[in-house]
Amino acid sequence: MRILLTIENDYQHQVGGDTVMSKGKISLKIKLTFVFILILSTLLVGCSNNNNGESTSKGSHDNMLTIAWPRDVGEMNPHVYNPSQLFAQSMVYEPLVSYQAGGKIKPSLAKSWEISEDGKVYTFHLREGVKFSDGTDFNAEIVKKNFDTILNNAKLHSWLGFITKVSQTEVVDKNTFKLTLTEPYYPTIQELAVVRPVRFLGEAGFPKDGDTSKGIVKPVGTGPWILEKYKADEYAIYKRNENYWGELPKVAKIKVKVIPDAETRVLAFEKGDLDMIYGEGVISLDTFKQLKSTGKYETSVSEPIATRQLVMNTKTEQLSDERVREALHYGFNKDAMVEGVTSGLEEEADHILPTNLPYTNDIDVKSVGYDVEKAKALLDKAGWKLPKGKTVREKDGKLLEIELMYDSAESIQKAMAETLQSEWAAIGVKLNIVGVELADQVQRFKDNKFDINFFSNYGAPYDPHTFLNIVASKGYGFNEAISAYPNKDELIKQMVKVPQTTDEKERQQLYASILKSLQDQGAIIPVSYIKKTAIYQKNVTNFKFPANRDENPFTGISIKQ
Amino acid sequence: MGNYILKRIMSIIPVFLLAALLTTGMIHLSPVDPAEAYLTAAHIQPTDEILAQKRHEFGLDQPFFIQYVNSIMKICQLDFGISYVSNKPVWNEVIYRIPATVQLAIASILIAVFVSVPLGFLAGVKKGSVIDHFSRLLSFFGASIPTFWLGYILVFFFSVKLNLFPVEGIGTWQHLVLPSITLALPLIAMYTRLLRASVLENLQQPYVLFARTRGLKEKTIMTKHVLRIAISPMITGLGMNLGKLLTGTIIVESVFSWPGFGRYFIEAIFNRDIPVIQCYVLIAASLFILSNLIVDIVQMYIDPRISRKEGQHR
Repeated sequence: MRILLTIENDYQHQVGGDTVMSKGKISLKIKLTFVFILILSTLLVGCSNNNNGESTSKGSHDNMLTIAWPRDVGEMNPHVYNPSQLFAQSMVYEPLVSYQAGGKIKPSLAKSWEISEDGKVYTFHLREGVKFSDGTDFNAEIVKKNFDTILNNAKLHSWLGFITKVSQTEVVDKNTFKLTLTEPYYPTIQELAVVRPVRFLGEAGFPKDGDTSKGIVKPVGTGPWILEKYKADEYAIYKRNENYWGELPKVAKIKVKVIPDAETRVLAFEKGDLDMIYGEGVISLDTFKQLKSTGKYETSVSEPIATRQLVMNTKTEQLSDERVREALHYGFNKDAMVEGVTSGLEEEADHILPTNLPYTNDIDVKSVGYDVEKAKALLDKAGWKLPKGKTVREKDGKLLEIELMYDSAESIQKAMAETLQSEWAAIGVKLNIVGVELADQVQRFKDNKFDINFFSNYGAPYDPHTFLNIVASKGYGFNEAISAYPNKDELIKQMVKVPQTTDEKERQQLYASILKSLQDQGAIIPVSYIKKTAIYQKNVTNFKFPANRDENPFTGISIKQ
Repeated sequence: MGNYILKRIMSIIPVFLLAALLTTGMIHLSPVDPAEAYLTAAHIQPTDEILAQKRHEFGLDQPFFIQYVNSIMKICQLDFGISYVSNKPVWNEVIYRIPATVQLAIASILIAVFVSVPLGFLAGVKKGSVIDHFSRLLSFFGASIPTFWLGYILVFFFSVKLNLFPVEGIGTWQHLVLPSITLALPLIAMYTRLLRASVLENLQQPYVLFARTRGLKEKTIMTKHVLRIAISPMITGLGMNLGKLLTGTIIVESVFSWPGFGRYFIEAIFNRDIPVIQCYVLIAASLFILSNLIVDIVQMYIDPRISRKEGQHR
């Protein structure tokens, strides 16, 4: 400012001097000053406009829980995917049934249901007296309306198995809804617990043409939370639904701040602007360790949500031999690697699917421990000998060289790849590790252009049936990867049969034999169980991870004032 | 001069066409299919059927030339297509986010100008003084500290430790302080040095000697003559740096959760949201050309010799 003023002063001195020149200059100066004032005022107006009653200081909590999320919560549309965020959709919209610990399916908007003997007809008895947040009734009519609009886009939702098998939706009476399938498909009830797309939007939310895939009018749900305020890319505030039919949340409001940067989330948390950081990929491993070590905060680690697997492509020559695959499994210290890389945030896995999923808790698989001598013996037996003075095994003049592909953005995969590289070098296997972008990783897996790849299953409520489905279907990578299994055709036949079973015992037996055979032949090595983490301030209590991977954890949480 | 400006505006057209060509070609150069990226991002398991449907929706099944012509036709109507991710018109999404970015950019330019003009000028006039050394130190820091790191450090001290400013977000003027300083520092570093060098050079010019012999006050010579001419390269730099500022906002907006255009662009890159990326590249290209034009016009006002030279060319 001072500089401007002095220029102005000097200017006044000069005016008397050369009048002709300064006329043009006066107008220029006035113009510039004017432009400057204009810019400044726009800036200030811009600032004050945005400043409408957002409380920033901590302490003025009003029983509000503030969390951070890396992305905007998106349009609160229950029937579409990206950019809508799962946890946010699950706050406002509810399913007919809900997935609970141990894979139990519990009533939600449906208080009970019957499945016909042939496994094709599902009759749901809806909970009575449930209201949408705008006060309208939840009933069989609106259930049908939601189902029909979802089924109009069946192609988009075809990844969800039962969608393509629905032949009829029917309103039996005000509180009874009937779903008829073209063929028996037992996972239907489990798939109805997913966060999207089968959750229910109130009448007022539907657009004129009824097609929700292009957008909704407003987010009207039956859930425990109501979207109160939303600013794209900034924040969303949800208030408690005081007329909620179920357990009323303890906190009155949830504020979701959009903070895309991981370090900034941590800084905001340390300052006390955030009450909790939660969510997959929202807290990095290092951050979690660092914040935990300060002792100033509470931390929580969930049950296993998925298994981190190594998938071998048995179409490649070296890996087509079961003995080589087995040797690789014996050849690394899994426990030490998982502990070392994840600092105990993940747990050594013995099964290709976590054992807390339905039908997976009692699979009797061959136990493979860390045994370098055994690994070497197996490789010798397979014909891969270590020539004198060399470090890599050979067979018919070919080196035992394998490539492991990992997601370059995932530090855990990278560290594990490096560990495996040195571990397997000790048994004479040359492992080349290559980091690729996630999208490339998926593509190469599908195109079968890999030797070994990292994979993790989808978790609850999608598994175990979704995992079997992608192994059985062509084009995902697994089907081709297990090509060297002598019983592949039989296995795939069984996998296709599982969802159609109506007998619980038969289903359990099929799962047991399929998962055992898949794992024992060594193309899929379980490495670790992935867990979710949460970190929160000391005044946040009663935090519990939801059993459904995509659900929100907010209902039980309370804040000590 | 009107003729000149018109000529310059016309020159936007070929650059614009080239930028459109590059962005359309980008889809084909990328190893990843946008349709598939869309589905992956949406957590939908891609089946061949959905893939084909999406590709058709995005117009990716048409020949390259048709795609190019189509995209140009649409851009002329400010139709940048529908975002793959949000399913909303890209232009609306961009317009919604631009004010925040402009606010940030203007604030940091103002800071940069208000700091670097006096600092660079004094450093030049008083060569070897404390101010000169200080300006050199500041420039070294400003030029070598990565923006994101500077952002974290500022947040750590001024926000977490001293509790003077909010960590992130937008709203009050306090929210604006740290991000605009972060964005301004590299500019300050550059302009201070630029102005200093230019002032030193001008002090050697005969007109300074002439002014002195005319008996003008030293203060007048400096502010009215030397600064006025010496500031010219800095203005050129400012114009050229508008583009740099735009890329700077990408990082600063991410670090400070500033809901602007840059952050939106980064997300679009991760999601391979091609229409948004195209829109960004085109806007950036236009901004480059436009800012250069504005700089030239401002230069003409400040130093009439330039427009006289232009006149000679014509």
